[in-house]
Amino acid sequence: MPLLALEAVHAGYGAIRAVRGISIEVDEGETVCLIGSNGAGKSTTLRAISGLVRVTDGGVLFRGRPITNEAPHRVAAAGIAHVPEGRGIFARLTVTENLEMGAYLRPRGPEIARDLERAFETFPRLRERAHQTGGTLSGGEQQMLAIGRALMARPVLLLLDEPSMGLSPILTQAIFERIREINREGTTILLVEQNATSALAISNRGYVVESGQIVLSGTGPELSANDSVRRAYLGEL
Amino acid sequence: MERTRAPFAALREALHAAEERTRLPVARLLLLVLLLSVPLWPMVDSRWLRILVLVGIFVVLGLGLNIVVGYAGLLDLGFVAFFATGAYTYAILASPASPALQADLNWWLAIPVVLALGAAVGVMLGLFVLPLRGDYLAIVTLGFGEIIRILLLNVRGLTNGAQGLFNIPRPELGGWVLRSLDQWYWLLVLSAFLIATAVGRMRASRMGRAWEAIREDEDVAAGMGVNTVKYKLMAFAMGASIGSFGGLVFAGFFQFVNPSSFTLAVSINVLSIVVIGGMGSTPGVLFGALILIGLPEVMQFSETERLLSVINPAVPFADTTDWGRQVASARFIVFGVLLVAVMALRPEGLFPARRPQARLPERHESTA
Repeated sequence: MPLLALEAVHAGYGAIRAVRGISIEVDEGETVCLIGSNGAGKSTTLRAISGLVRVTDGGVLFRGRPITNEAPHRVAAAGIAHVPEGRGIFARLTVTENLEMGAYLRPRGPEIARDLERAFETFPRLRERAHQTGGTLSGGEQQMLAIGRALMARPVLLLLDEPSMGLSPILTQAIFERIREINREGTTILLVEQNATSALAISNRGYVVESGQIVLSGTGPELSANDSVRRAYLGEL
Repeated sequence: MERTRAPFAALREALHAAEERTRLPVARLLLLVLLLSVPLWPMVDSRWLRILVLVGIFVVLGLGLNIVVGYAGLLDLGFVAFFATGAYTYAILASPASPALQADLNWWLAIPVVLALGAAVGVMLGLFVLPLRGDYLAIVTLGFGEIIRILLLNVRGLTNGAQGLFNIPRPELGGWVLRSLDQWYWLLVLSAFLIATAVGRMRASRMGRAWEAIREDEDVAAGMGVNTVKYKLMAFAMGASIGSFGGLVFAGFFQFVNPSSFTLAVSINVLSIVVIGGMGSTPGVLFGALILIGLPEVMQFSETERLLSVINPAVPFADTTDWGRQVASARFIVFGVLLVAVMALRPEGLFPARRPQARLPERHESTA
């Protein structure tokens, strides 16, 4: 049984149907990526999973249990953490408070302090900025904070929406390196990216999304080698 | 700058040390005693107390709205609705002029009724505006405030329409009637203190963290597991409950209510108090109310006129023979300029909300 399964999911905003029958599966321990151009429906797919946008048809199963159109806080409680596009940093809370907020559902205790320490170890920059407000961080630091905060929930599944957006190539590489480590430590990852090269490099499998539908799927190397993928998303002529 | 700040820092540290030792909120208790002693000060006469009672009512309203706007970030432009709910609930249930029923409800017994009803009206408004954010929320709440006022004007069988309800009884407990201005003032200081303490507890709780997360980013808050529906409704309920209590005090103090007391201007005033004081800041509400409600009144005093006459500057283009009176009569202009200046110089408000980290010696809040 896959950890997460989308079965012919349709979702969108009002009359705009951004997702039109997407079916994907993510197995426990995998990193899976959704690649595709701007407006293909990748972000909406993630938002449909976490309950932020209404699923109009089809279903979402998490650990075999339907979570279709569950309230977002229930989806979070089930073990799915979502790092949204644009990171969603709490600008007027400090870095530490942002991280603590990630552990909102967990009982207070030494475990949280330990995880806070771990977040600072994973992202040393955040420790330097611990008492600064989130809004004062640079784009890369905010991305680290967003990922660190999501991990504070000890999620089973981490949804990452465009972690490389607005970052320099060096920072992007650093972030992807971290994502790979997080996955190695046991968190399953569903990643949405426009930066297909980096995403495929760290993913077990990938899906190509176009106009709200899956047009292609395969393992990372398969997709990287595919001609149409290379032309469309990897910038080759 | 450093020199002016030093004595305050020393005072703050001394208070801190005392709080650590005694495990009591020493600073707050001292402030409470100071405020309670005001009627005993030699210069304070009935005019001052009347103003301070009015200020006190607005402090209560400000504390309520501060939950909704300052903590949860829900811009409510119709807060007067809750103020009216409290005032009219008591008026209808206690005034002998009430056309619908003669319940003769005691003011003290009205407290739980008003708190509960206020919360209910808050939840009702909250349910309507749940999906709305930002400016849309502001406009709908603004409309809600007006709807309540127009209802009060037109449901004559209950509210007596434009004439209003009069002879509303004062608070009475076993034959002891709350009558003098000092007593009203003390009642307001104590209740504002209690409310501020309760609100402070809420803010430090799980609920407070949920509110802050919602204020910062509702979707992300939900993604962290915050039940946004529940906590938004809670913010409306708590804010409305406190606002209704303000109305209850208002009705008991003035012994008269009519719809013209519950206009948009009240909502704007309360919101200005919260914004000028510093969103989410309790001392900000206190000082905001003192400045916004107290100052315009004090500027009318004859002493103020005399004082202004003394400092009569040689303004080249104006007739300054009667300077004090002129400034006093132009007080709203002066006042408006003052407000603009405050917001220009301190956009975060006079007393920006203190983050828990503010206790550390160094704050790195500005840009890195």
